[in-house]
Amino acid sequence: MARTLAMFTDTSVCIGCRACEVACKQWNQLEAEEPGWTGGYQTRPHFTDKTWRHVKFIEEKDKQGDPKWHLMSDVCKHCNEAGCLEACPTGAIYRTPFGTVDINQDICNGCRYCVSACPFGVVTFNHGTGRVNKCTFCVDRTSEGMQPACAKTCPTQSIQFGYRDELAKKAKQRLAELHAQGVKEANLYGEDTNGPLGGLNAFFLLLDKPEVYGLPQEPRLPQKPIWKDAGLSAGTAVLAGLGAIVAFRERGGGDGGGEQ
Amino acid sequence: MPLLKSPDWPLLIDLYFFLVGLAGGAFMAAGVADIFGGTKDRVVTKVGSYLALLAMIPGPLFLIIDLGMPSRFFHMLMVPKAADTIGMSAITIGPFHIKPYSPMNLGSWALLGFGACAFVVALTLYLEDSGRARDLGPARGAFGAIGVLLGFFVAGYPGQLLAATARPFWTNARPLGALFIAVGAATGLAAIALILSLRGPEASGSLAKVRRAYTIALAIQGVVLIAVFMAVARGGPAWSVARGGLLTSGSYSLAFWGGAVVIGLLAPLALEIRDGFFQGYRRGPGMVVLASILILVGGFLTKYLIFAVGQA
Repeated sequence: MARTLAMFTDTSVCIGCRACEVACKQWNQLEAEEPGWTGGYQTRPHFTDKTWRHVKFIEEKDKQGDPKWHLMSDVCKHCNEAGCLEACPTGAIYRTPFGTVDINQDICNGCRYCVSACPFGVVTFNHGTGRVNKCTFCVDRTSEGMQPACAKTCPTQSIQFGYRDELAKKAKQRLAELHAQGVKEANLYGEDTNGPLGGLNAFFLLLDKPEVYGLPQEPRLPQKPIWKDAGLSAGTAVLAGLGAIVAFRERGGGDGGGEQ
Repeated sequence: MPLLKSPDWPLLIDLYFFLVGLAGGAFMAAGVADIFGGTKDRVVTKVGSYLALLAMIPGPLFLIIDLGMPSRFFHMLMVPKAADTIGMSAITIGPFHIKPYSPMNLGSWALLGFGACAFVVALTLYLEDSGRARDLGPARGAFGAIGVLLGFFVAGYPGQLLAATARPFWTNARPLGALFIAVGAATGLAAIALILSLRGPEASGSLAKVRRAYTIALAIQGVVLIAVFMAVARGGPAWSVARGGLLTSGSYSLAFWGGAVVIGLLAPLALEIRDGFFQGYRRGPGMVVLASILILVGGFLTKYLIFAVGQA
């Protein structure tokens, strides 16, 4: 396996220009969508089958009561322990040699199980193609030595692309810098490979708690306890089977209701 | 609550969950009656086996027409060329793949095996009854035993499948597989009882045994249902626990308490106990028809409400 690639999105320098969204749509040939009213500057509530980079405008009030925004360009996290990949019954979802997660459109049959298994609501069903899709980490660019379209186009370097270990170092430096400047709420989300989901290969620097951005505090791999669940299932099956055996066993006395 | 997406599975999928559970339960009853029952209980083996096979015909079709690309249904089991990094402990043998952490993949394999066993068992019964073959008992026993195990698997895997998602309520409802197995056993047995009760007095001995069995299954269903809610309450996070509240005190609470718990679980339990579960049954089939219909309705509602609340 090649060295793991990653994206680091530093929300502290995001200006909400949505150039990443546009670059993503252009490179991946994703159709335009009618923006809906979300109550603020954000164009749509969440990822769609045609929006794989999504800029969030989280509106809050500052101490003076004036509006302020947390801006965040969200993307598929390419989890090291990926719920969608484990759920996929067909093997369409696979890990690339770069450590990212991609969906083979020639295999996907549109069962939508992965949609329910993603802890971030990333994977989306496309009614047109009958298949699911999401950010591919521009696998067709990265495999040719180019960076993903969103990272390439980002004018403020809010989106940075590179080897995971190097980017993680950069992220920690940036966090220390912000803490030194007194931005105490700044935190890294998904940078730690010992953390939830074995670390995210698209990780973030956030300026508030993850929930504020609509991200789970402690994302979990939903398949992890599956063998414990299976134990409960097996135990119940044994009980139900024994119940039936007790009921059907020939006792000869006729107390079961007139047999013999 | 974090931003999540729903798979938007239609009612058809829930109908499949119900049918496949009923098939597993009915087949279990057929196998137990065949091995542990008396000669008179052959009627249970017959009704249970045919019922399981019948319930298995529409179910998989529902799954296939719900796919975004129905022509690729076989990708659940085999693909021309899969990547070698398709998940934890995944096994690839030629074009086939087995993914132990994907209940949908394992369930598809189990469905195939269960369907084959149900078919062979039904065939042996038909051949014997039509006089074309004699004493196929050993073959039936072998396929029946494997089929009973696979039947429990196909009854339970939809519950495991829901629990292994990131959806609110489902993700913490870890004993859902256990619950679906109990519901499958109760509904499968109830469906057999309903058919036997129409058969007249010669099946009354077997009918009493089926009643006893479904009453036990119903009691297990009640205990596991409590365990599901305990798991959700203890499992956190708050947004997932709150979704369970839709069932206990929210917009689904009337259907849950009134339908799934009182009408579908407590009422048939009370009927059976009053009618002589502990002393030996007294009365005729009238009560059986009522109780088994209540169990079928209750089992369907239990699965439907859990299915709906995770996608709400």
